[in-house]
Amino acid sequence: MSRSRFQHINYPIVLRMIAWLLLIEAFFMLVPMGIAIYFNESRVALSFGASAAITVISGAMMTFFIQPTSKTMRKREGLLLTAIVWVFFSLFGMLPFLLSGTIKNVTDAFFETMAGFTTTGATVLTGMENLPHGIVFWRSMMQWIGGMGIILFTLAVLPMLNVRGGVSLFNSEVTGITHEKLRPRVSQTAKQLWLIYLIFTVVMATLLMVGDMSWFDSLCYTMATVSTGGYTTSDAGLWFAGSTYEHVVVMVFMFLCGVNFTLIYKVVARGQFRALRFNDTFKWYVFVIILFSASVFIYMNIKGFGQSVGERVELSLFDTISSITSTGFASYKYEVSGGFISILMMTLMFFGGMAGSTSGGAKIDRMMVLIKNTRNELYRIVHSNAVTSVRVDGKSMAHELVEKVIAFLAIYVLVFVVVAVALTLMDVPIFDALFTSMSTLSNMGFGCGVTDGVGAYAALPVGAKWLLAFEMMVGRLELFTVLALFTRTFWIKD
Amino acid sequence: MKIIIAGAGEVGTHLAKMLSYEKQDIIVLDPDSRRLANLDNYNLMTIQGSAISFDDLKRVGAGSADLFVAVTPFETRNLLACMMAKSMGTKRTVARIDSGEFIQKQHKSFFTESGVDSLIYPEYLAANEIVTALKHTWVRNWFEMLGGELIVVGVKLRANAAIVGHRLRDLGSMSGFLHVNAIKRNRETIIPGGNDVIMENDVAYIATTREHIDRVVEMCGKTKHDVQRVLIMGGNRIAAELGKLIGEKYKVKIIEGDLERCRVLADLLPYCNIVNGDASDTDIMEEEGVGDYDVFVALSDTSERNILSCVMAKELGVNKTVAEVENMQFVAEAESLNIGTIINKQLIASSRIFQNMLDRDVDNAKCLALTDAEVAELEVLEGSKVTRRMVRDLGLSSDMTIAGLVRDGVGHLVNGDTRLLPGDHVVVFCLSGSIHKIEKLFG
Repeated sequence: MSRSRFQHINYPIVLRMIAWLLLIEAFFMLVPMGIAIYFNESRVALSFGASAAITVISGAMMTFFIQPTSKTMRKREGLLLTAIVWVFFSLFGMLPFLLSGTIKNVTDAFFETMAGFTTTGATVLTGMENLPHGIVFWRSMMQWIGGMGIILFTLAVLPMLNVRGGVSLFNSEVTGITHEKLRPRVSQTAKQLWLIYLIFTVVMATLLMVGDMSWFDSLCYTMATVSTGGYTTSDAGLWFAGSTYEHVVVMVFMFLCGVNFTLIYKVVARGQFRALRFNDTFKWYVFVIILFSASVFIYMNIKGFGQSVGERVELSLFDTISSITSTGFASYKYEVSGGFISILMMTLMFFGGMAGSTSGGAKIDRMMVLIKNTRNELYRIVHSNAVTSVRVDGKSMAHELVEKVIAFLAIYVLVFVVVAVALTLMDVPIFDALFTSMSTLSNMGFGCGVTDGVGAYAALPVGAKWLLAFEMMVGRLELFTVLALFTRTFWIKD
Repeated sequence: MKIIIAGAGEVGTHLAKMLSYEKQDIIVLDPDSRRLANLDNYNLMTIQGSAISFDDLKRVGAGSADLFVAVTPFETRNLLACMMAKSMGTKRTVARIDSGEFIQKQHKSFFTESGVDSLIYPEYLAANEIVTALKHTWVRNWFEMLGGELIVVGVKLRANAAIVGHRLRDLGSMSGFLHVNAIKRNRETIIPGGNDVIMENDVAYIATTREHIDRVVEMCGKTKHDVQRVLIMGGNRIAAELGKLIGEKYKVKIIEGDLERCRVLADLLPYCNIVNGDASDTDIMEEEGVGDYDVFVALSDTSERNILSCVMAKELGVNKTVAEVENMQFVAEAESLNIGTIINKQLIASSRIFQNMLDRDVDNAKCLALTDAEVAELEVLEGSKVTRRMVRDLGLSSDMTIAGLVRDGVGHLVNGDTRLLPGDHVVVFCLSGSIHKIEKLFG
C-alpha cells in the first residue's frame, strides 16, 4: 500500500450522503412549484419542475455511481459534509432563479440562495411585488429549511444519518458552546426540535392569517420570521406595509425563535419553569433587549424620530429584536440620523440570540462568558492570587470551554475585519464595509450605505458577492466547522 | 430501552459505546465533564452530575429508566446509587462491586430487597473465565449452556485442521455434529454462508453438542492438554480470586513485584506459592522455570507487558497463555499474536449488561461479549416471532445466526429446516450492534 501525503477521507460516503440530501431538497422544490401552479405562473412552475428533476437526477446518479466501500464517518467526513452540503444546496437551490429568468447571472443567484439558506436575508432582487409568487415563496422556504438546519432535518426524518457520524454532524451544525441534547438518541432530539419549529410555524401563520394578511404573505413572512431570516414579499418591507398587530406577532415570534429551543422544549413540554428562572443566558437576552430598545427609544425621542411615542416604542422594540435575533426586517433608514442607532444595531448583531435557536450572530451565551471572564480578569489585576471561575446557570464553567469561547470571539472579530478590509479594497466605504461584513457574518442581512435598501447588494462587485456568500456560510456554521477545512492538518499528514 | 450508566470510567465508557450501537437510549452520568466529553460524538446523552444525588438522578430520569448500571470506581457508591434509582422507579439495577462476599448466594435476597437486582464483580467473572480457559486449553473461547449440553467454542485453526480449505457446504457429512457460526479473519468477523471457505489462521466459532466435542477437537487438529502447573504474573484482585478458585486443584505460583501485596496474598491463598519479583524480568522467569508450566497467566497492570510476556512464555515452551488486556485497541492485536485467551474486564462487564438487557429474568439468559460479536443464550417465549416459521424462512439478517438449541434437556444443532418451539433454549451468535434485533425476534 503506498503512503499518501493526504489524510484519508472517505469521500464516497460524503458524496453518498450529499446525494440523499439533494433528493430531500428536490422534494422541497415541489412546494413552490405547487404555489406557482396555483398562481398560474406556468414558466416558473416549469422551472421548479426542471430544477427538481435536475436535482433528483444528480442525486440519483450520485447514489448510483458512487458506491462507498466503507461506511465509517469520522470527524473529517462529518465536518466536510456539514460544510459542503450548504454549497451543494445553494448550487442546486439557485436553479429556479436562473431557469425562470428572475436572476440572470450565476453570481447573483448563488448569493441570493446562500443568503436564503443561511437565513441572512440579503438580497439582490428588487420589485418583490412583481416577482412570481413561486420565486418569492422559494426564497422564504429556503430560509425556513436553513433556519433549523439541513442536517437536523435529515436526522429527524431519515434514519440513515442516525449513526455515530450523525452525532458529530449534529454537533457541528447546531449552534452553541456545548450541545445539550433533549433525548438520548440524536434522532429523537432532532425530532423534538423540529416539532417546536413546526408548531411555531403553524401558530404564527395562523395568527397572521387571522389578521388581514393574505395567506401567501402570511406563509412567507412566517417562514422568514421563525427562521430569523428576514426575506420580505414587498419592497416596502414589513414595517411600512404591515399593521401594528402584524408587527407585534412578528416581534413575539422573532423573540421566541431567538431563545434556545431546548429551553423552550423544557418549559413548554416538560413544564420546567425553573429552567427559565435559573437560565442566566435567557435573563441576559431579555435584559439586553430591554436595555438596547430603551436606548434607541430615548435617542429617537431626542432626535424627534417618528410620529408618536407609540410608534417610537414599537419601532425601537421591533428593530432591537430584529437585530439581536439577526432577522433583519428593515424598517427605518437610520444613517440619516447619524450613526448611533446603526452602531447599536451592529452591536446587537454581534451579540446574536441564544445558542440553540435559529438566530445568528456570535450568540449571547458567548458574550456572557466573555463579560464574566473579563470581570474576573480585572478582579485578578488587583487580587493577583485570587482563583476565580466563570459561573453560568449557577455552575462554574470548565476553563477549556472559557478558552474556546474567547478563541471563538477573537476569530469572529478577525473574520469580520478581514472581510471588511477586502470590501474596502473593492471600493466600499469604510463604515459600510464594516457594517456589511458584520451583518453578513451574523446572518443578519441589513445593509448600510451602498448596501442599504432592497436589492442594493446587486450593485456590489462580483468578487464581493462570492466573498460575502462565503462569509454567510462561515457565520451560519459558527466558524470552526468551515474554517477547519482551511487548515493544513485537515488535508495533509504531517 | 432506556439505560442509565452512572460512571464514565473505562467500563462505563465502553458500555455506553456498545449500547449506543445497539440502538438503545443511553444516558451517561458522571461528575467529571472532561470524561463525558469523550463521549460527545456518540449517539447518547451525557449529563454531568453525581450518581448518588437525588436531584441528578431525577434529571437523568431514573424514574422511567429500564436499566440502571452503576459502574463508578466505588463499590458502596454503586450500591447506594442503585438503591436510590430503584426507589425512584427504575425497573432494574446493576451495580459493580469489588468484594467477593457480596456475590455469595445467601446474600442475594438482601441486595434484591434493598433494590440492587444484579451485581457485577468483573474480577471474579474474569477469574471464572480463566478457570474455563484452564479446563479447555485447546479453545480461545468456551461458551456452554445448560450444563454443557450445547457448546460454542472459538478455535484458532492451523494447517493441520481437517476442516481447513473446505467450503462450508462441503462439510455436509459433519453437519450432524458441528456448525460453524462465525469466522474471525484478519480482525473482521463474518457470519459465513455455504460458499465460504475456512482458511488457515481463521478463528472459527463452532457449535456442537456434548457427545461430539471430542470429534470437534479432532477435526480442528487440536489435542487436549492436562493442566497441572499454572504460573500467574501479577497479584491483582483477579489473581487473588483465581487463586481461591484453583489453588487446591492445580499447582499455582504467583509472581508479584510488591512485597506488601505478596504478604497479603500469602495470607489469603495458603495453597499457592507466592514469589516476590518482577515477572517481566527474563532472569526470574527462567529461574522460576516458566517452561515447565502448562499455563502462563499474565495479569499485570499494563496490557503491553502482559502481551509481551505471554509471547515470551510461549517461546519458552508454555502450552497455553492467558493475558489480561484492558486497552480495547490492543485486544485485536493480542488475538493475532497467538495468545491463547484474552481477558478484558470491559467485555466481561458488557456480557453481564447484555444479559440484563436480553432478559428480565437473568437466570434464563446468558451472554458472552467478544470484541466484535456476542453469543447469547435465551429462552424462546410463547408466541414470539421465531416460532412461526422454519429457521430458513425467518429472514434472519446476515449479521446473526442461530447456533443451536436445547430442547427437553438435550442439545441439538440448528439448520434451515429446524423449527423453534416455545420453551426451547437457543444460542444465537450475532455481530456487534445487532443484539437489539434478537430482543425483537425473541421478545
